[in-house]
Amino acid sequence: MITIIRGATRKPVASQRLADFCNLHPQLTGTLYLGYPVIGTPEGAFPIDAIWINDKKGIVIFNLIEGREVLDYDELQDDSANKLEAKLRNHRTLMKGRTLLVSINVITFAPIVAKGVPYIDGYALAQEDTLLDCINSIPDQDQAYTEAASVIQSISTIRKGIRKRSIARPDSRGAKLKALEDSIANLDNLQGRAVIETVDGVQRIRGLAGSGKTIVLALKAAYLHAQHPDWKIAVTFHTRALKGQFRRLINTFHIEQTNEEPDWSKLQVINSWGAPGSSERNGIYYSFCKQTGAEYFDLGGAKQKFAQGYEFEGICEQAIKDATSGIEPIYDAILVDEAQDLSPAFLRICYRLLTKNKRLVYAYDELQNLGSSSLPPPEDIFGEDAHGNPLVSFSAATDGAPQQDIILEKCYRNSRPVLATAHALGFGIYRTPPVGATTGLIQMFDQSSLWQDVGYTIKSGQLSDGHDVRLSRTESSSPKLLELVSDDIDDLIQFHSFKTQEDQNSWLASQIKSNLSNDELQPNDIIVINPDPLSTKSVVGPIRKLLFTEKVATHLAGVDTSPDVFFDDSGESVAFTGIYRAKGNEAGMVYIINAQDCYSSWGSLARVRNQLFTAITRSKAWVRVLGVGENMTKLSEEFNKVKAQNFELDFRYPTAEEREKLNIVNRDKDVRIIRQGTSNIGQLIEDMKAGRIFIEDFPTDQVEILRGLLSKGDAS
Amino acid sequence: MASPAEVFKQVQTLTADLVGISLCTHQNFPSMEKLPNDQVEISFSNTENLSIVLKNRPYSEIYYELNHDNAYNLRMVDGALIQMMYRFKKNEIIAHRLAFFPSPDLLEFQNNAEYYEDDEIYADIVMKNIVATPLRFDFDSSDEVFQEVHHPRAHLTIGQYLNCRIPVAAPITPFVFLDFILRSFYNTAHRRYCTDLTNFEQKFDITITEKECSILHMRSGA
Repeated sequence: MITIIRGATRKPVASQRLADFCNLHPQLTGTLYLGYPVIGTPEGAFPIDAIWINDKKGIVIFNLIEGREVLDYDELQDDSANKLEAKLRNHRTLMKGRTLLVSINVITFAPIVAKGVPYIDGYALAQEDTLLDCINSIPDQDQAYTEAASVIQSISTIRKGIRKRSIARPDSRGAKLKALEDSIANLDNLQGRAVIETVDGVQRIRGLAGSGKTIVLALKAAYLHAQHPDWKIAVTFHTRALKGQFRRLINTFHIEQTNEEPDWSKLQVINSWGAPGSSERNGIYYSFCKQTGAEYFDLGGAKQKFAQGYEFEGICEQAIKDATSGIEPIYDAILVDEAQDLSPAFLRICYRLLTKNKRLVYAYDELQNLGSSSLPPPEDIFGEDAHGNPLVSFSAATDGAPQQDIILEKCYRNSRPVLATAHALGFGIYRTPPVGATTGLIQMFDQSSLWQDVGYTIKSGQLSDGHDVRLSRTESSSPKLLELVSDDIDDLIQFHSFKTQEDQNSWLASQIKSNLSNDELQPNDIIVINPDPLSTKSVVGPIRKLLFTEKVATHLAGVDTSPDVFFDDSGESVAFTGIYRAKGNEAGMVYIINAQDCYSSWGSLARVRNQLFTAITRSKAWVRVLGVGENMTKLSEEFNKVKAQNFELDFRYPTAEEREKLNIVNRDKDVRIIRQGTSNIGQLIEDMKAGRIFIEDFPTDQVEILRGLLSKGDAS
Repeated sequence: MASPAEVFKQVQTLTADLVGISLCTHQNFPSMEKLPNDQVEISFSNTENLSIVLKNRPYSEIYYELNHDNAYNLRMVDGALIQMMYRFKKNEIIAHRLAFFPSPDLLEFQNNAEYYEDDEIYADIVMKNIVATPLRFDFDSSDEVFQEVHHPRAHLTIGQYLNCRIPVAAPITPFVFLDFILRSFYNTAHRRYCTDLTNFEQKFDITITEKECSILHMRSGA
C-alpha cells in the first residue's frame, strides 16, 4: 500500500487518477507525494508534479499531463530529473564519493492522451493500463531509502529560533541550549504532512503549545504560494509578535523552495483585527467591514459596546449581523494561528472572505484554556447551509484523501517534567480538596479522550468518569532529548518561595546576572513573566530598575506597531512581560514572578491557574517559579507532589456532575455582575421585609421562573 | 551651573526612576564620551543613526527609524521616544538637543492611560487619526548660528514647522525637561509618581537676550 500525501497541485485530474491507480495496486509500497516538492532553481520555482519514494525503485518522478498533447515531454523529464538530482546532491547522507545513492527515474503519466502517440525511446510515457509495466521496468536496486525519505520528508532545513552563539564552555547553559536547538530535527513526519496536505475546504490543526503549529502554518503558506503564485493568501494570528516570526519563516522557506522572495502583495501576513491606514495595519476584520459595509469598531469603540475581554468577539458577531451588501470573496486561502484566542465569529468572517473552495486552515491549542475545549466543533462554528446541513464537518480520515483534521501530538518545546507540572497545576491534579468538596480539581474537560490526543497514555486505571487513572507522557510525545539540557530533573523546573517582594526581586536580579555572565545565556534567552496582567507594570518596575543600575538591559513588552515587539531586534535585552504578551513566545530560561497570585483566587481560580500554565509552557528548557508568602509555600507543596509522583498525573476523573459544579465554582466570574446582583437582592429583601413591596406585585411568570431557579440552587 | 558630571547623573538617575515606575518600557544606557578639543558629549549608547532627525521626511518614517534603531534614551509606555544629548567644552555647555517623539499611530497615554495600565493587547487598534507632535528643545551657544529673535540660543521647536523657534531662557537640564514632558503628557502618572522621581535643583545660566524676552518665550523658575 502506498501512503499518499496530497499537496496543492496544479493538475488535479491527472493527480487524482494517479492516486486512484496507487490505491488499485496495494502491492506497491512507499510514499507518493502529489504536488510536491517545489525546487528552487536559478530560473525560479520548479514544481514537481508528483514524486514516489520506494525502497527498491528509489525515487520516481511523475510528470503529469492533463491534456491530450504530450509536447516536448522528453525535455521536461530531463529537466525534472536534473533539478531534483541537483537538490539531492546537497545532502551528504545521500552521497558516496560523487555517486548519488538513490536512483531517479521519470515517468510521464498522461491518462487522456490518445493512444499511439509517438513514444520517445528511453522516456517512459504511460497511461493507466501501461503504468504498471513502466514501473516494473525500473530495475530493483539497493537504495538509500531511509535517507532519501527523510530528505524528502524534511521539507525544509529551516529551524525556528536558531541563534548565533559563541560558546566557551561545553557544559554551560548556553552550550546546552545550542545543542538542543541543533538536535531538534527540522520537521517530523506528521508536521511535514500537515504542511503539504491541502484540502479544498476547511482544515483544522490542533496541538499543544510547542507542537509546531506556527511553523507548519508558515511553511504551508509559503508552499501554497510557491504552487499557486496567483492565489491571494492571508496568514493571520492573535499575538502581533507572531507577525515578524511569520514573515521571517515564510520568507526563508520560500527562498529555499523557489530561490525567490515571496510576493507579499499576494501572500499577506495580516492582523486579525486591523485598522484603517497603511497596509501594515490592515486586518481581516477591517477588510470584512470595508467589503460588507458593516460598521467598523476600533478598540475604543468596542470597549463601549462589549464586555471586557470579549470586545473582539463582540464586534465580529456584530459585523456578521450588520453585513449589508453581499460579499465579494477576497482570498483563495486563509491560515489562522492561535484560533483559540480569536473566536468562532472570527472564523466565520474568514470563511465568508474565501472564494468558493473555502480553503481555511485554522490551528489552535486545545488546552490553552484548560477548562474546556477552546473552540466548538466545526459544525457549530460555521453553522448550516440553506438546507440545514452543516457547512463544515470533518469526515473521518480515509486512505488517499488529504487529512482535514490534524493533531500534532508531539511537544518539542517543553520537556516532560515541565509540561506535566504545567498540566498538574493548571488542573489542580494534586490540589488539596477544599472543605466539603469531593475533589481538589479545578477544571477538567468533558471529553476524556483529549488527554490521549495531547500525548498522554494511561499508565494504570481507567480514563472515564468517576474512575481512578494515572496518566504519563510518553517518550514519543515528549522527546527525551528535551530533558538533556539538565543533568538533573531538579534543575529543569524549580519553585522558590520568598518572604518579601524585595527578596524575590534581588534573587531574580542576581540569577539573571549570573545567567548572562556565567551561564553563557544571551539576554533574549530569558523572559520574566508576571502572571497577573493588572499588576505587571507596578511589580516589574522595581526589578528592571535594579537591573538597570547594574547595567543589565531589559525591556517591558508592550504596545507597539512595529512587527517585532517581543524580543528586541538586537537581542541584547531581557524581556519582561505580562501574561497576555507572553503567549506565542518562548525562551530557554523562564522566570515566573509572583506566582502566589496563581495559587488561589476568589472568582477566577481557573483563570489564574491557566495563567500559570501558559507561563510555564513558554520554556524551551528551564523554569523558575518564584513567589512570596503563604500561598507560594502552598503552591510549592503542590509542585512537590507532582515531582514525588514522578511527573505523572494520578487522579480520579470527575463525574459529569462534579465537572459541572467545577465549571460554576471556578469559572471566570464577572465580579461586577455578581456585586450588582447581590446588592439588588439585598434591596429586594429589605423592601419585602419592610412591606414596601409584595410578591404579588411582580408579574406571575417572573415569580415562577425565580422559584424554579431557587429550587434548582437548593438541589445542588 | 550644571556640570557634565551633574547632567550625566541626572540622566542616569531619572532613567532608572522612569524604568522603576514602568512608564519607560525600553531604555538605552546613558553615555559620556570625551571628544577632541576638550569637549565632552553626553548621549546614549546607540547614537549611530541620528542624521535622520534632521532630514526632510514624513514624521512617521523618522519615528519608525529611530524606534527600530533604538536611537533614544527612553521609550515610553505609549511608544513615545525621548532623546537627551548634551555637549560641553571645558565644562561649559555648548549645545543640547532634547527631543520628544510621540508615536504616530498609538493613542497618547494622557487620554488613554487605562489601555496601557491594563496591558490591553489590542491597544494599537485605533481608528482615529493620531496627531503626533514632536517637540525639540535645542541649544547652541555658537555665535555663527545665533541670530537674535530669529534663532535664539535656546529654543523650542514644535512639530515639523520650519523656523519655529520659541525662545527659551536658558539651556535645560534633564530634570527640567523630563519634568515638563511628564507634567504635560503623562499627567495622571506624574501626579501619582512625582514623589518617586528624584528632584534636581541645579540649573544652567540664562542665555536669552533682552529683545527675546520682549516676545513670547519660555522661562523656568528662578
